[in-house]
Parts: sequence; structure tokens; C-alpha cells
Amino acid sequence: MFDFGVWILAQARFRPEFIWDNRDAFLGGVRLTVFIAIVAFALATVLGLGVALLRMSKNRLLAPIVAAYINIFRAIPLLVFVVFVYYGIAIQFDVKISAIQAGILVLTLQYSAWLGEIFRGGIQAVSDGQTQAALSVGMSRPQTFFRVVLPQAIRIVIPPTGNMFIGMIKDSSLVFIIGVPELFRVSSVMANRTFRYFEVYLGAVIFYLILTTAAYFGVKYLEKRFALVDVLTTRVRSPFARRRGVRLRMIQDAVASERESKSSGTATAM
Amino acid sequence: MSQTGDAQPVVRLRNIHKSFDSNHVLRGIDLTVGQGQHVVVFGPSGSGKSTLLRTTNLLETPDSGSVWFDGKEYGPGIEGEGLPRGKARLLRQEIGMVFQQFNLFPHITALDNVALALRRVRGMKRDKAEHKAATYLDRVGLLDKLGAFPSQLSGGQQQRVAIARSLVMEPKVMLFDEPTSALDPELVGEVLAVMRDLAESGMTMVVVTHEMGFAREAGDLNIFMDDGLVVESGGKELYSDAREPRTRAFFEAIL
Ligand SMILES: Nc1ncnc2c1ncn2[C@@H]1O[C@H](COP(=O)(O)OP(=O)(O)OP(=O)(O)O)[C@@H](O)[C@H]1O
Ligand SMILES: [Mg+2]
Repeated sequence: MFDFGVWILAQARFRPEFIWDNRDAFLGGVRLTVFIAIVAFALATVLGLGVALLRMSKNRLLAPIVAAYINIFRAIPLLVFVVFVYYGIAIQFDVKISAIQAGILVLTLQYSAWLGEIFRGGIQAVSDGQTQAALSVGMSRPQTFFRVVLPQAIRIVIPPTGNMFIGMIKDSSLVFIIGVPELFRVSSVMANRTFRYFEVYLGAVIFYLILTTAAYFGVKYLEKRFALVDVLTTRVRSPFARRRGVRLRMIQDAVASERESKSSGTATAM
Repeated sequence: MSQTGDAQPVVRLRNIHKSFDSNHVLRGIDLTVGQGQHVVVFGPSGSGKSTLLRTTNLLETPDSGSVWFDGKEYGPGIEGEGLPRGKARLLRQEIGMVFQQFNLFPHITALDNVALALRRVRGMKRDKAEHKAATYLDRVGLLDKLGAFPSQLSGGQQQRVAIARSLVMEPKVMLFDEPTSALDPELVGEVLAVMRDLAESGMTMVVVTHEMGFAREAGDLNIFMDDGLVVESGGKELYSDAREPRTRAFFEAIL
């Protein structure tokens, strides 16, 4: 049965301004969450690219090792992995590592495995004909990869990679377990101290929502930024594209007038 | 008249063998392409025509045999010859290739497609490279499409950009692998027109095509391949008056 009295009491106790009053503590947690997510994601991206390339290599020794790396790091629950590295390995082998470092390390390893598979898919989705065409005009293998294959693969992997980044923001909360004072850890400490569970965790939810939504729009922006538009025929707003359009028109005019003068030149010669 | 011409040989393939696993695709190909000569390659599907072209510019490495170009050996070579060896990458800068599926780079504009190798391979400055690229796009009638991306172009336009992309490197030889067979019939003409101009300008060409109009007009040397071998080669008499029954049957079917 709905008890109006209890409901009223709960409403009376709800103090949304509590979140605002403690904004500094929350923002400290937000800052560390953002730091961990960005650093771990950047490292995972570089490592993931390496993982993808090695996984595709024809090297009979490396390819299966990297395949094992991918399968193992994807298979361990992140929470267990964090605890194992920080309390298990670090203590057993007396490795001097801070909780933040351990958290970033674990997130990097696991995400490099996921990203590696995404990148591999993206690279393999670029047709073989592209590589052949690039080689056929005399480009080297590295040039072919970095100038032709990779830019196309990047467009393919932007959406799934963006999803991984949003996942990273959320997963970074799991390092609370080893005491890293990121958003969730800060929140739970605050809640246990003040007993304002609802306000505190509502605050945490709101801040995570803001972060993931911002990341979502960031990804949308990147997709648009990498979209392909003909600057000569499309009305473009960015100053970069407009300058490029002016440039192309200048080249067109120069080539057309050269052609004119050449053909009139031969005409008079005849 | 000798079909290899009195012209200086530019590319010479001798006893080329190539297998993919147990599939023996080229079984001892000999082909000499002379300066300014236009070789047209015929043959049924799977006979190894594409593999032959791809071996010529070392996109495929032959298992054995000689790929001779401009005084250097680019293949495994022939025992005891001891020719100076050349690098595949340098060979490809001298031999252009046009693909059936165009293979334009979809993420950059037509202009950048043509300018890319000038900048990255020839090390040209951006201004010079783009100007030169535009000149070549003009040559194939696409000066108004500099800023277009491949997906915004028709098949015929894409193939002409692809031809410009190869030509801008000023190759000594151009290879064409069925350049019109992926095109809608009404777009074939514009591509063949560019190829005819090129042939008239004296470019050395090896063309895999079944376009008889082009072959009749431009083909100096016609070769018929089947099952990884050159079955027969000759002038225009090959179309109607071949010696080999397999060649006859092939031309009877396509004419
Ligand atoms: N990269 C490759 N890997 C494995 N097999 C290949 C490869 N390229 C070609 N082949 C095989 O080699 C044989 C000859 O192929 P090729 O493409 O040279 O024939 P083609 O004469 O060009 O045929 P088409 O007229 O269909 O283009 C075919 O059996 C084909 O399956
Ligand atoms: Mg073929």
C-alpha cells in the first residue's frame, strides 16, 4: 500500500541543494574520472593499433600470442582484474605502483584488446584494391598504410570506438575498489559520511550522465568532421573548407587558361 | 612485319611461373613489349590475364622467371644472367596500372587522388603537385570535378580519374585490366576515348579487354591466353584467322 505519510517524509528529506553544496568534492572526482578515462583510452588506442597490426601479421609466432592476449584480456571481469593487479600482483611481487597507475594499467590492457579487434575489423574492411592502387603508383608499404588504408579505417571505426570511450568513462568507476578517488569513490565516501545516500548517488548519476552525453556529442562531431564534402559544389560553412574551395577554383582557372593559351598558340603557329 | 616491332623492348617477361597454393596460374609466360607498342590481351575468365598484369608491375611476385625492365631484373631472374637487380617500388613508379574496379581512394578528392603520389613519392610541393594533378584531370575532361569525392562521380568519371592518377606519374608503360568491364554501357565510350588518345600519343600499353573496337584500332600485338599460357599471338588476323582452335573458338564466341 502507498503510504502517503512516508512519502511526504521522504520528500521533505530530499535536499537537492546538497549536490550543489558539495560540488567541489564531486568535481574533484569528475576530474580524476576524466583524467583516467582519457589517459587509459589514449594508451589503449596506441596499444590497440599495435595489437591489430600484430594480429594481422603473417608472423607465425606473434599472431597467436596476440590472439591469446586479446582473448585473455577480454575475458577477465574488469573488477577482478583490477583487484588482482593491485592487491595480488603488486603486493606479491612488491611492485611500487599507485592505485591510479594500477587502474589506468588495467583499463588500458582490457580496452587495448577490445579496440584491437575493432581496429582490425576496420582495417580489413578497407578493400585490397586500395592497397594495390597505392602500391601501383609507387607508394611504399608504410605510406600506403598511413595515407590510404588507415584514414579509411578510421572513418569506419569512429562510431564503435566512440562507444568504447563512453564505456571507458563508465568502467573507470570500477577502480573505486582499490581506493582511487574518482567520481564514484568520492561519492560513496561522501554518502557513508553524510548518510545522504539519495542526494549523493543522484549527484553521481547526473555527473556520469553529463560526461557520457558530452562524449556522445564529441563522437557525433568527429563523425561529421570526417564526413566527405565537395567544397566546390556544397555550401560549406567552415572557414577551412571555404579556403580550400577558393584554392581549387584558382587551380581550375589557372589550368583552364593555360589550356586556352596553348591551343591558341598552336592555332597561330599553323 | 615483326609484331614485337623494331621498337626497343621496354618490358620483357620470360618464362614466368606463378602459383597460388596448388593453383598453377601462370605456366611459363613469355612476352616482350616494345616502345610505343599496344598489346591487347584476350582470354577466358580465370586464364591468368590479371595475374599476368599484376606480375608485370610486381604486385604479385613471380615464383620463377624474369621480369626485365629498362636494363634491370625485377623478378627471380634467369640463372646465370646476373643482371643488376631493381626494386619493385621503383618499377611501379615507372609502370602505371588501371583497375577494373577503379580503386580510387574514396576518402580524398579527385584532385588529391591524382596529387597524392606526386607529393608522397615524387616529393613535390603541394602547390606544384596540385597544379600538375589538375592539368592531368583536365586532360581526361574532369577539370570541373577537382573537389569531388569518388562516390560523387559516375563510374566513367571515376575510371578517368584513375587513369589521370596513373598518368601523372609519367609512366613509361600503362597496364589496363579490363578498364571498362565494370561500367554501364553508356559510360564505356568516354573511357575508351581517353585510352585511344593515350594510344595515339605513343604511350606503351598492355590492355586486357574484350572491347573489339579498341583492339582493332589500337592493338599492335594481340595475345590470346588460356590456362596460364600464351596460346597464340599476332596482329589483327588473330580475330578471324587464328591457327589454334582454342583461339578461333574464343573469338567466334565474342565477335
Ligand atoms: N590473390 C589470389 N589468391 C589466390 N588465387 C588467385 C589470386 N589471384 C588470382 N587467383 C586465381 O588465379 C586464377 C587466374 O586469375 P586471374 O584473375 O589472373 O584470371 P583472369 O584471366 O584475369 O580472369 P577474369 O577474366 O575473370 O578477370 C584464378 O583461378 C584465380 O582464382
Ligand atoms: Mg581479371
